[in-house]
Amino acid sequence: MKGKNGLYYTWMAVLGIAIIAGLVTALKLFIQGHGLFNANDVLIWTLPLGVYIFLALASSGLTLLSALPLVFGVKEYEPLAKRMIFLAIATLCGAFVSVGLELGSVFSMIYIMLSPNLASPIWWMGAIYSLELVILIVKFWKMHTGDWRSGFSKALGVASFLCALVAPLMIGSVFGITESRVTYFGPVMPIYCLLMAILSGLALFMLYSMIYHKVTGEQLSGAQATVYDDLGNIFMYVTGTVVLFTLLKFAIESSTTIPEFLVYHRFEHAFGAWRVFHTEVILGLFLPFILMFISSVRSAMGGKILTSALIFAGTLAMHMEILLAGQSRPVGPKAEQYPEFISYFPSIWEWLVFIFALAVMLLLYTLGERYLKLAEAPE
Amino acid sequence: MPRYAMVIDLQRCVGCGACSIACRNENNVPEGIYWSNKITETVGTFPNVRYHYIPTLCNHCQYAPCVRGCPTKAMHKLENGITMHDPKKCIGCKYCEFNCPYGVIYFNFDKPHKFWRENDPVIREGTASPKELVENVGGKSVPYYNPEREDTLPGVRPKGVVEKCTFCDHRLQKGKLPYCVEACPADARVFGDISDPKSAVSVLLGKFRPFRLKEQLGTEPHVFYIRNYNPAEYRPIKGGV
Repeated sequence: MKGKNGLYYTWMAVLGIAIIAGLVTALKLFIQGHGLFNANDVLIWTLPLGVYIFLALASSGLTLLSALPLVFGVKEYEPLAKRMIFLAIATLCGAFVSVGLELGSVFSMIYIMLSPNLASPIWWMGAIYSLELVILIVKFWKMHTGDWRSGFSKALGVASFLCALVAPLMIGSVFGITESRVTYFGPVMPIYCLLMAILSGLALFMLYSMIYHKVTGEQLSGAQATVYDDLGNIFMYVTGTVVLFTLLKFAIESSTTIPEFLVYHRFEHAFGAWRVFHTEVILGLFLPFILMFISSVRSAMGGKILTSALIFAGTLAMHMEILLAGQSRPVGPKAEQYPEFISYFPSIWEWLVFIFALAVMLLLYTLGERYLKLAEAPE
Repeated sequence: MPRYAMVIDLQRCVGCGACSIACRNENNVPEGIYWSNKITETVGTFPNVRYHYIPTLCNHCQYAPCVRGCPTKAMHKLENGITMHDPKKCIGCKYCEFNCPYGVIYFNFDKPHKFWRENDPVIREGTASPKELVENVGGKSVPYYNPEREDTLPGVRPKGVVEKCTFCDHRLQKGKLPYCVEACPADARVFGDISDPKSAVSVLLGKFRPFRLKEQLGTEPHVFYIRNYNPAEYRPIKGGV
C-alpha cells in the first residue's frame, strides 16, 4: 500500500511539473506569439494541431466504442462503459488544450458564437466537439448517480454517439474542402479520419485498461478477460480495415503524376521520415497488425499493451505525416520567400504544448480513477 | 454598388516592385508579410533562358475559399466585392491561409515590426536605437507609419491574426485608387468597377484575352492579367530531325 501511495505521489508530481511547464508555455505564447513554433506561412499547422486531431479523434473513438453497451445494448461491455465515457471526456480536454494553444487569438473565440459561419467546417467541428463534451459530461454524471437506463440517459448516449460519428467527418472536411491543397481535397480525408478515430479510440482504451490492470495488480476475472479478448478481435478487424485503406491510398498516391503528391516521396519532415520508408505506417500499423495474427500475442496482456501502444503512437505519427506532407510546398508567391520543400522538426515549445495536453489528459484519468468509481456498472 | 476589379498589363509591367514597396508603406505591412508580391519563373536552358514575372495580390475572389472557411466571419465579403478581414473577430486558426489557393494571406507569428521596437542602437554610440528613431520622427510602430490605414483596420495588425490586401479600401472610401495602382510607374495596373461596361477595366477585358490565376478552381478571382510580355523573336523555321 505504502509503495502504491509512493508511486501515486511520484506520478502526480511528474504530472504537476508537466502542467507547470505547460502553463509557462501558454504564458510565453500569449506574450511572444506563435513565432515560438517552428511553423511559418507555408507550414501553417504543425505539432499542436496534429496533437489536437490525434486526441480529438481518439476521444470520438472512445465515445463510439461506448455506444456498444450504451446505444446498442451489448451488455458484456457495460462494466467498461463508464470508464470509456470518462476517458473520452479527459482526452477531449487534452485536445482542447492543444488547439487552444495553437490558436493565435484564443480570446476571440467568443465570435464563434456571436458571429457563426455555418458554411465553415471549422465552425461545425468546434460546435460539435463542444456539444459532445457537454453531452458526455452530463451522461457521465447520470451514470455516476446510478441513472443508466432512464429515457434521458439513453438519449444522451445516442446524442453523444451521433456527435462522435459526425465530429471526425468534420475534422476530415476541414481538409477535404481545401481546393488549394490537392492531397487533401475530396471525401478521402473525412472517411480516413472516422476510421482513425475508431482505431485510435480502441488502441487508447486497450492500452489504458491493460496498464491499469498491470499497475493496480487487479486480476482480470474470466468474464473480463473474455470481454478484452473480444475487444482485441474488434481491434484486429478495425486495424485490418485501416491497413487496407492505407494501402489503397499509397497505391493511388504513388501512381499519380500530380506534383503535390510527389512530396510524399521526398520524406523531408520529421514524422516517419527514414530514407524511403514510411516508418510510422510500418511500425505503427503494419507491424502490430501482423502481431495480432499471433493468437498468443493477441490474448496476452503484454501483447495487447505492445500492439495498442504501437498503434496509438502510430496514429499520431500518421496524422502528422499527412498534415505536414500536404503543406510542404509553398503556394503561389510564397515560393519566392521559401524553398521548394519545407522540412520540419517541432520546437521545444511545440513539444511542451504536446506534453501539456497529455498531462491534462493523464491528470484527469488519474483523478477519475481514484475518485469516480470508473468500473461501476448498472445493477 | 460597384464591383471592384484590377487588370494587370504584363506588357507594361517592368517588374520594378514599386507596387510592393508602396503597399508596404501605405498599409504598414510588417517584415516577412507581403500583401503585394510576385511569382517569378525562369524557363529554358542557358543560353536560351527567359525570366517571367507575375505581380500578385489578393484576388478578391467572388467565391472566396477563405471566406467560406472562416469560422467567425472575420474574413468576409463587402458589397463592393472586396474580401475584407476583421482582426477583432479573428481567432488565429489560420484556416483562411491554409485554404487560400493563391498564397496571399499571411499570419502575424510575432509582434509586428519587431525590429523597430528594439532598444539597442544599430551601432553602439553611433546611431539611435530603432525605438528612439521611431519616437524621434513621431511615428507609431514604424518611422514611416501611415495613420490613414486606421480608417478601416488597425493601423498595425496585432500578433496572432492574419492579414492581406484590402484593395486599399480606406483609400477607395475617399475616392482614391489603391496605392499600388497609384505608385506603378508604368501604369501597368488598372483599377475600377467591372460592373460598369464603360469602366477602364471593362474596356481592357473586352479588348484583350485576359487570364486569371488557377481559374480551374472556380473561385472567380477579380485580378485579371492581360498581354503576356515576351519581346523574343525567331526566324520562321520548321525545326529538324
